[in-house]
Amino acid sequence: MGSRWTVPRVLALAPDAGSAKAARGLAGPRTWSELGSTESLVWGKCQGSARAPYQVTVDLTEPAFRCTCPSRKSPCKHGLALLLMWAAGDGSVADLEDAAPFAADWAAHRTTRTAPAKADPAAQAKRVAERESLMSAGVDDFELWLHDLVRQGLATARRQPAGFWETAAARLVDAQLPGLADRVRAAGADIHARADWAPHLLGELGRWYLAIRAWRHRSELDAAAMGDLRTVLGWPRRRDEIGDRVSDRWWVVGLSLEEDERLLSQRTWLYGERTGETVVLLDFAAAGQALKVAHVLGSVVDGEVARYPGGSPRRALLTGDEHKVTPGSGLPHATDVRTALGQAARWLAGNPWLRRIPLALAGMTVVPGDPPLLADPGGAALTLAPGTDLWQLLALSGGQPVPVFGEWIDERLHPLSVQVDDRLVAL
Amino acid sequence: MTAWDDLLGTALVGTGRRPFDLGDSAIEGAARVTADSPEAGVLAAAALAAGYRRAGWTPRIWRGTPAPPAAPDERPECTPAAAQILELLLTRSIRLEVGTELLTLDWLRAARRAGRRPPHRLLPELLRFGTTAAATRALVKDVAGPRGAWLAGHNPSWSWAVTVPPGEVAGRFATGTRAERLALLADLRSAEPDRARELVEETWTTEPAATRAGFLDTLRTGLSGRDEPLLERALDDRAATVRAAAAALLDHLPASSRAGRMAERAQRLRRDDGSFDLPGEPDESARRDGVTDHREPGLGRGASRLIQILAATPLSTCDSGVAASIETADRDVVLGWTKAALHQRDPAWLAALARHQPTPELIAALTPEAATEILAGQGKLDARFGGLLAAAPGPWPAGFSLDIVGRLRAGKAEAVLRLAARALAEHLHPRALAVVEDWLLALGTGHQATSRTLRGIAHALTIRATILQEFT
Repeated sequence: MGSRWTVPRVLALAPDAGSAKAARGLAGPRTWSELGSTESLVWGKCQGSARAPYQVTVDLTEPAFRCTCPSRKSPCKHGLALLLMWAAGDGSVADLEDAAPFAADWAAHRTTRTAPAKADPAAQAKRVAERESLMSAGVDDFELWLHDLVRQGLATARRQPAGFWETAAARLVDAQLPGLADRVRAAGADIHARADWAPHLLGELGRWYLAIRAWRHRSELDAAAMGDLRTVLGWPRRRDEIGDRVSDRWWVVGLSLEEDERLLSQRTWLYGERTGETVVLLDFAAAGQALKVAHVLGSVVDGEVARYPGGSPRRALLTGDEHKVTPGSGLPHATDVRTALGQAARWLAGNPWLRRIPLALAGMTVVPGDPPLLADPGGAALTLAPGTDLWQLLALSGGQPVPVFGEWIDERLHPLSVQVDDRLVAL
Repeated sequence: MTAWDDLLGTALVGTGRRPFDLGDSAIEGAARVTADSPEAGVLAAAALAAGYRRAGWTPRIWRGTPAPPAAPDERPECTPAAAQILELLLTRSIRLEVGTELLTLDWLRAARRAGRRPPHRLLPELLRFGTTAAATRALVKDVAGPRGAWLAGHNPSWSWAVTVPPGEVAGRFATGTRAERLALLADLRSAEPDRARELVEETWTTEPAATRAGFLDTLRTGLSGRDEPLLERALDDRAATVRAAAAALLDHLPASSRAGRMAERAQRLRRDDGSFDLPGEPDESARRDGVTDHREPGLGRGASRLIQILAATPLSTCDSGVAASIETADRDVVLGWTKAALHQRDPAWLAALARHQPTPELIAALTPEAATEILAGQGKLDARFGGLLAAAPGPWPAGFSLDIVGRLRAGKAEAVLRLAARALAEHLHPRALAVVEDWLLALGTGHQATSRTLRGIAHALTIRATILQEFT
């Protein structure tokens, strides 16, 4: 996918003025479900006058349209409306890794029929160049915004209404920098939610600025650094770009599920018994859709993963279909707090933007209080994130020191699992 | 001032007001970075410093003493399927027409019977359940076990579930608030009733009237003849509320000397034919024993006094045959006996009275067998019957369960069905599931309310059967 299309570019495809008008009327999320897009496909289901919703799919490379409605126009109003919503870029059409089955089937069918429709390398290079120039413009714009913010001071920024952060984030989305947009939005919320908002915001500004400078020097970056930069900017990898494979017995040590109004995301943390490497699997689904079946916490998956380019801990995909799954016996790699933070420092040296840092901690005592803490046998303590279910943590520990796995985010621990006897229990 | 503090100070007020030069800053590594404006300088310095700060972050040291851990729980954990049912019930993820509370209670009772515990992770939800449904607390506390009691100690809103160690009871009773002392007594009363009463007696004379009355109410649990001296003493209390509370408790002790005095009063009023004279103005001793000027609805002063006297008279002193005397007795006399039977929990009298004129109160006090036998003999499936059925205790025998569903269906008694839906869901024998489902299938359109109720009952029966199966 190159840059997101503009509305005029979509409407130029309409076979007549009536279709364009009808498409504009249909281009609202009300009548649509299962909306999603990948690099090359946009799809969704539209509830029309028929009982079953029409299945609408657009292949962006040509573009080619398919809709199950009876209209003989091509593209029909449903296909146009779908593209209009996608072009609006307001997030109603989720960016996903995998196409919905009905869309993927059609695309696969088309590829075999129009074979050898090998992606045209020249066209692909052109699309990448388009995206890069859009991103570069967005990065320049973001730098000016950061300069303004620093000139006026963080204290002034704190008095800004929520719209100040939202507008900046929306512009980053338009410039195909959704990763930065998410962090700007989060910073706008944190500024009122955290007691240490000022040092936290200054640290965030530093990391964003680092991304700006890194983007300008991207031709000098190695593959891993480029991978981390792409993650922070929000430029996803295509599946065929990952190939760095490693086999191990992977212990499923933590699961976390997050849901907002349009996306369900699941992270599965794996620890490789032989390599000692920690990787994370990411799965997404549009809100209201089912995720791929989760891995069972505490089990051990014997198999091969393909790792995305980047610094450790790396994102990965489980490859192959059949994996041998056996029960595990808890957290194989738990350490005290200092050792775990030492590991975190080594990871941060490789990836300065690393935000979710997995920590496997042994012998942690739950200390209720304000804020509640987890302390290791030496007394080294981590602050629990607000929103942690302290009661459940206490109930599981019974006041005994327990091994805990969690994500350390912005200097606060979000516990994901606790080892009770030889079993991991999700929080 | 560290280089970071200096940087933060500049960033807070802005480079518009305070200059910043990256080269002059003491930020590590600044010499290797260029910045062509003060803003770029602050941002570059922040980028460098943020990396050092995060990577070099040191944990704070906690120097407190950990609280003592929970006592071990020897009970084995319930099966994963049972745990899943409990979780669905507690989080209300299953929706039931008849409510999830009674099934939760079924689960807890089954777990208690089987001597198994819920998984620790469900304890917070379980304690939340007990906090809202106060009547279930004793059961919840039992099932939650030592880990639950320990956990409750960390959250003031769960204080009802805390078990106070025996050595600390006296101290806490002396220093607690009124509510805490009442909770303490209620707790102690179910384990060591005499010890609880002794605590009450120790400070009795110095407590305010409202506290004395509250303390007496806690004696209702585990009430026995050993409590009589205190209650007898309370009959002479300065406060009317305390005297009334004492009299109400003595109603439940047919072997007490006050019951004997009441029996003498009843004997004096009794005519040879078994009927009773109406008593006149109560004398001082009758007033002391709790005979008041309270009027029963629709009855005169004398009749109301007679009811009070009979209600406090031991039924064992009524020498004529139970059933025969009820048939011929006046309305006020029957009312007095009914109250006495309910207080004294006399099964023969309760059954006889219920046979004579069933009320929800009487039916509820019977054994399931006696209650269902009386209900089976009732001819009309009207709203009154619905009220009785709703009050009937369970579990209902299989024969009655099948029969009652059949009768309701044949009689098209959908109003009764809805009135008694909770009781049906709670008490029907598992074998009645098939007839409930049959009825549901045979139901035509236009019976949405009924089909919803039936579906709720069928659903509840299925879950209950699963619960029982998971605990065998």
